[in-house]
Amino acid sequence: MGRLLFIRSIEGRVLAGITMFVGMMILVGWVAINEEARMQAFVRQHTGRAIERGAELYASLCSECHGEEGYGSKDRAPGLNNPHLFGYDPVGAQTAAITNANRALVRLNKDIETLLTELTNAQNPPTDERQNAILAEIDDLEAQLEEQHALIDQAVAERETKLKSLSAAVKRGLYPLWDTIEDIPSTAENEVETFFFINGTRLTQVGWAGDLQGYVVTTLIHGRPGSANVWLSSEGMAPWSQLAGAQLRQDQIEDLAAYVLNWDKGNAWTDDDLIAVQQFGKPLADGSLPREPGPPPAGDNVNAILTFWAENEIVGSEATGGVLYSEDFGCTDCHGKGSAPDTVGTFERALNERLALPQFAGYTVEQYLVESITRPGDFIVDGFSSGLMPANFGTRMTHQQLADIVAYLMTQ
Amino acid sequence: MSILPFPSFLDDVKEKGFKKAVFEGIDDSVERLTAGLNVQDLREAFRGETASRRPNPRLTPHADGFWLHMRPSYFNRDVTGMYPSFRLGWLSSYFVFFETITGILLMLWYTPSPEIAYGDMLTILSNVPLGQLMRDMHRLGAEFMVAVVAMHMMRTWITGSYKKPRQFTWFTGLLLLVITGFLSFSGYLLPWDQLSLWAVTIGASMAEATPVVGDQVNLLLRGAPELGANGLLRFYLLHVLLLPALLFVFFGVHYYKVVIHGHSLPPQKENIGEDTAKRVPLDKRVYFIPDMLTYEMFWLGATTFIITVLCIWFYHAPLENHADPQVTPLGTTAPWYFLWIQGALKLGDKFIWGVAFPTVALGGLALLPYLDVTPSRRYAHRRVMLTIASLLISVTTILSYMGLAKFAVATSAETEIVHELTFEPAHSKVGIGRTIPFDQMISGAYTTAQIHGHEGMSANEFIAAFNAETQANGQFAQMISELQSQYVSTNQAPQRFRSIPADEAPKLMQVMEEFAHLLDAEPVELPNVWGALVITDNQAGLKRLDWIVSWDGVLIEGGQVQVDEAGEPMIVMATEDVAMLDEDGNPMMNEDGEPMMEAVPKLDADGNPTPARRIYSDHLFIHEASAYFAPGG
Repeated sequence: MGRLLFIRSIEGRVLAGITMFVGMMILVGWVAINEEARMQAFVRQHTGRAIERGAELYASLCSECHGEEGYGSKDRAPGLNNPHLFGYDPVGAQTAAITNANRALVRLNKDIETLLTELTNAQNPPTDERQNAILAEIDDLEAQLEEQHALIDQAVAERETKLKSLSAAVKRGLYPLWDTIEDIPSTAENEVETFFFINGTRLTQVGWAGDLQGYVVTTLIHGRPGSANVWLSSEGMAPWSQLAGAQLRQDQIEDLAAYVLNWDKGNAWTDDDLIAVQQFGKPLADGSLPREPGPPPAGDNVNAILTFWAENEIVGSEATGGVLYSEDFGCTDCHGKGSAPDTVGTFERALNERLALPQFAGYTVEQYLVESITRPGDFIVDGFSSGLMPANFGTRMTHQQLADIVAYLMTQ
Repeated sequence: MSILPFPSFLDDVKEKGFKKAVFEGIDDSVERLTAGLNVQDLREAFRGETASRRPNPRLTPHADGFWLHMRPSYFNRDVTGMYPSFRLGWLSSYFVFFETITGILLMLWYTPSPEIAYGDMLTILSNVPLGQLMRDMHRLGAEFMVAVVAMHMMRTWITGSYKKPRQFTWFTGLLLLVITGFLSFSGYLLPWDQLSLWAVTIGASMAEATPVVGDQVNLLLRGAPELGANGLLRFYLLHVLLLPALLFVFFGVHYYKVVIHGHSLPPQKENIGEDTAKRVPLDKRVYFIPDMLTYEMFWLGATTFIITVLCIWFYHAPLENHADPQVTPLGTTAPWYFLWIQGALKLGDKFIWGVAFPTVALGGLALLPYLDVTPSRRYAHRRVMLTIASLLISVTTILSYMGLAKFAVATSAETEIVHELTFEPAHSKVGIGRTIPFDQMISGAYTTAQIHGHEGMSANEFIAAFNAETQANGQFAQMISELQSQYVSTNQAPQRFRSIPADEAPKLMQVMEEFAHLLDAEPVELPNVWGALVITDNQAGLKRLDWIVSWDGVLIEGGQVQVDEAGEPMIVMATEDVAMLDEDGNPMMNEDGEPMMEAVPKLDADGNPTPARRIYSDHLFIHEASAYFAPGG
């Protein structure tokens, strides 16, 4: 080593130095010409890892509502492992055939009309020869009309068969409002076609002008305004991004989107994939799902709630409360799973531990429970994070529902 | 009379002829550029001949030129060999410039913001030609620089070169060591990945222990109680502005002092108490031009070549997942050169070991030349100082080892084992569980029980028996409910274990063997343990791997497993609530009229108490394209 580093002759050092520099430049050049391939490989690898991270986020944050396998859950959240979302239109071929045939019908009718005008032109009547030619042409066009009508009938029949085979999916919300359109008289044929055109894929259904990636990312960032009105038993799609005041960073949003988009099968989607979906998306914007005005929500003024109950003789039902607790309002998604206090033992804990705290002096257990549900941020039990429990239960529950849940918890 | 209205080159041509005029013009330009050497001088120098002109033109660049004004014009032959300097000082300087150049190139693509920084790293790796090489070089250079500067200090200690008159040179060198450490440390944070965030969080939190000003220093450094946008910006500015500025200033002072006092000779080459570095006999002079110049050009080429080779084939700068203040990775450590402080912190009080100890250590080093004032630099006369030097090296090494995550950090065995199998790539290592080739991740549930041997039975028969056993004693059901709590869908949860397809998936088999091996090593903490790996399909090209550990609960107090007299761990027995009965066999009621319950040992079918079975799981997702390479591969 010493000998190597201390070449005694000047020209030896110059030569060795030049060799090293040239060697280094060759190496760097060799790296440079391979950079394109390396960078592409890195992008592939990075995309793979982004999907892995997205899968982790999905499992812990999204699978509760959208399903572990992404099929969605009934009346709660739409499936994302869902051909309809990725632009697979099971009756797309039929819709296209009918549209084409309808266009042909218009064209043919117009041609016939032109010929008839010529035939009946009094000022410049056609010659006999021309008359015969026109009549023959009209016959031909009418035959074509028949053909197109047959095509339409065939496509409609095919579509009906298809819809029947997809009845499970239709029942779960593929083609929402189909039952209101179904009985439209045939004169309104265009409306049916428009319906299928619009509802063919999720993006056309919601009138999204961008691409799917943008749709998924935007939904993750901002949530879906108005969806709490549609998903009757949940709080709707909440915003997830730090941009919208929630928890996820932008890179996490992108990881999640990468995972969701990785469900895409491209051209390989089948009707079976549609049938596997447990819940399809619902239309939001057109207000076509009117909600009957129900009883007023309970609100979050604890004393007002308790007074209202006393005045209106509202008594909770333990059994109904249990169902509301575990199903409709999804309380068991967190309570009993570690991230929130257990359901079991609620009453005893409230009575013996919470009411012993100075700030709850003079409270009843009922009062404590009502406050905990309607104003979850007012008091956080040691060892649990604040901000996890939605603060809007008071506006989502009627007085009766709240009373039912409290009654249920008093037995726990 | 000029040809042009002013004197010009053409006049020379007219006077001397074209050839002569051109040659003289070139000669003149070269002499100006080199500040004193004309073409003939250079030719002679590089041919190794003596200079033909007098006075020696090879000294002029040192006297007249800027670039060489601080370099000595000649060296003592005794300091140009490998010994005594080992070129460590030269190497340190080399890395200062190397890091500056690669760092400036990286700056072109970097923005110090938590939103962008990590994305910039990905861009450098995915969209900047030679970006990865540049990043690897900068990172490797930084690690080398810390090591080289530290070794330079130890060398100075060992040869006693800090002694009079070089006390202040030593002190500035020590400052440079500290600055180098902080430069490297501040650069650590910039990629904004998990590795950097947590290493720096640990490092910066040491400052917290300083009495009175600790919190303020920490706040000043981080810009907020937690590392965030302000902290990143501050570390960036420290890294690219303040610390380099300090480094260059003290580098100048340090080298100036080195030249003023001369390079210290090997101890045995001069008389005790003498310093003859500046009195170089004529026969020992090695001139900078041409000898040292060509040496240095050669070393420059050689060192850069070696680093290039290392960065192409042997070293890639780590980049973990995006920094996440919410997720503390298991086994976080400070950068290796601060590990000794982390190790010291495990000895006790945060202030004493985290602040006072390093301060005293560095203070002691700074004062070394003033404490050790004996005149002799001979090794034989410096036994005490050499002993202290070797003690320092040993203690630092031991403390650094103690700084490692595996030393005296109480993590439960099951967590440790699963982490060992699944950790993300870091420092060219990756959990073996991630290295199973994608096509060998065959969906199904596998257990380490199979590895432990199935004497007299085929693997399939053994697994069938194991299935029957675990289904009967509820361990399988416990595993399924654990999986479901981790969001494995009911559809995908396995029905039963299957034997490991060793032929189709040798790597899977190897991983399961490793898993079993790790579990076996913990007989006290994990009695009657079995591990399981459940592989499920998640998406096209994406698998989910759930790692499960199931064992008999043991009594743990103060982080220690309690053992009985025979050294066997004390097993916790399962209990169940049953209604209390009075003497007549009727359920007893409390005041509210509810049946009274008591916890009794849970018995199996034979009436024996059953151990409380514990279960632990963790999971990871593996995508086909992720390409987690085998360690070192």
